[in-house]
Amino acid sequence: MNKVYRNSGSLVGWYLLLLPLLVVLAVVEFYPLLSGINLSLTDANGSFSTANYAQMLSDPAFYTAIEVSLGYSIGSTIVCLIIGLTLTFLVTLKVRGRTVFEALFIFPLAVSPILAGVLWSPSSIWDDFFGFTHYILHLPFIDELSPVFFFPVMIVSEAWLWSPLIMLVALSVINSQAKQISEAAELHGASDWKRFVMISLPTVLRSPVMQFIIVLRLIDSLRAFEIPLAWSNWVGFQSFIGSPVDTLSLFLYKLIFVPLYHFPIGLVSAVGVALLAVTLFVALGLIRLLDRIGVR
Amino acid sequence: MAKKSRQSSFLRNLTVYGALAVATLFSVWPVTIMVEEGFDIDLSPIFSGKGMTTVAGFLPYYSGGIHPTIIHYLDALSFNSFFRLMGNTLTIAAISITIALITGVVVAYALARVPIKGKSLISYMLLALRAVSPFVVVVPLYIVFTRAGLWDTYGGVAIAEELLILSVVVWMIRGFFSDIPNEIYDAASISGASEWQIFRHVAFRMVIPGIVVTALFAFVLIWNEFVISDILTGPVAKTVAVGVWTGLGENTQTFKVIRFDDLNAAGTLAWIPAIAVMLLIRKYLAKGFSLGTASKDA
Repeated sequence: MNKVYRNSGSLVGWYLLLLPLLVVLAVVEFYPLLSGINLSLTDANGSFSTANYAQMLSDPAFYTAIEVSLGYSIGSTIVCLIIGLTLTFLVTLKVRGRTVFEALFIFPLAVSPILAGVLWSPSSIWDDFFGFTHYILHLPFIDELSPVFFFPVMIVSEAWLWSPLIMLVALSVINSQAKQISEAAELHGASDWKRFVMISLPTVLRSPVMQFIIVLRLIDSLRAFEIPLAWSNWVGFQSFIGSPVDTLSLFLYKLIFVPLYHFPIGLVSAVGVALLAVTLFVALGLIRLLDRIGVR
Repeated sequence: MAKKSRQSSFLRNLTVYGALAVATLFSVWPVTIMVEEGFDIDLSPIFSGKGMTTVAGFLPYYSGGIHPTIIHYLDALSFNSFFRLMGNTLTIAAISITIALITGVVVAYALARVPIKGKSLISYMLLALRAVSPFVVVVPLYIVFTRAGLWDTYGGVAIAEELLILSVVVWMIRGFFSDIPNEIYDAASISGASEWQIFRHVAFRMVIPGIVVTALFAFVLIWNEFVISDILTGPVAKTVAVGVWTGLGENTQTFKVIRFDDLNAAGTLAWIPAIAVMLLIRKYLAKGFSLGTASKDA
């Protein structure tokens, strides 16, 4: 930053202006976090114990939840990237009405995640789809209750929801950074596909913004909740922990709300802290990225 | 560009529109199904090829029957009091966004321009806010809120929604401040304006459009948010996204009966304002997400 600061003596006031934000952060972040850590280290009698963590680590459902969360997060981010970049490629092609298509591609971004869980449910789109594949194409019916079917569908619906965001960001990067080179390549007779793969795609993937969004997607889908919650209803896993729909968040939700488990608040807090540790671990990558961008 | 023959250009257009059609179908089809099932139209007989028969041996006749009805939309608006849910969500969003802007805009400016110490600490805290799962925070908040009488009140949920929007608001507005060319800051600084005066009279006015975009985006986030509002609201302050999921099923003793027609009608009603806002701000949204880097290293 090579700027002129004539009045840098008056910076004290700026610290005061940060205070309101810190107060809000204290209420919604520090207090609940510390309180959660405190609860996780307290037993029923109110004395210090690590029993909650021991219980958590001895619970096979916890490990299943971690596996499901990681698979869900990595899978949906990759699929989201592929779909988003495909949409980007289609929208950058020079045809009539591409702004209309761009607007249509935005549609999923306004769907709330819980609704995405409803829309992709067996009784919504798959009803018609399987009718088509079975009666017209004479394929056998697919078992909707098998994880082999519903786990990929959950991943695709999460990716469907956020692919427009990837598209918007990729488009802005292309428009600001790759347009001129791409036009020069067009003059030399390079095809649309070649120009996208050799010029636009590397620019997009190398841009800090896109990497930032990708890491954000990883973090957000690591703690994904709404779509797995909806699917736990469709496939009948509302009250069992350790099922293939249980991400860490849903695992927590079930511990809290399924009466069978009696809301074990210490255990819930311990799992919460574990979830926090996992997400912060991913977030470390984000911090290093932010350093590189120079955002901080 | 090398001149192509008419035929190959026709083939190209055909392929491109074909691909665009497939992609559009993928993006729009689930939404289409939602709107259509809200009207209680069942197209599955058509897709399975079972609905078509012939009358008198040759006249095609669709025996599946399509009887659209708006009863589910009316149900959502009357029995399930959708308007009240919308009002709740708007109130919560208004309070929450106001808090985020009052506390966040100055900080966003400070992060972008002012050489104060501890910037990185604030960035870390905002980042942690984004990385924290709502569940980690919402359980302690739930306990506190029930004790303090804040559970199921607009204020309580609005504060908790900061969890969702505060980091996004600060990051986006920070990017808009960074997008202002350095020359403008330097000119103001050389004219003798203090950092506060630059913020108040120059930079703030220039990012007002950016602030509007950010506020609208935050509104969509809150409108669609489920976890925080599900746990921290009850019958009084329930929001739209929660209402869509919980209000329209019947809990029987063993399982939940979901009425899909009502669910889809309510879903459509919840989706329309969100998509309207999204279409309005989509051009500026990507710029907001560029964190102020898009224009710099061009």
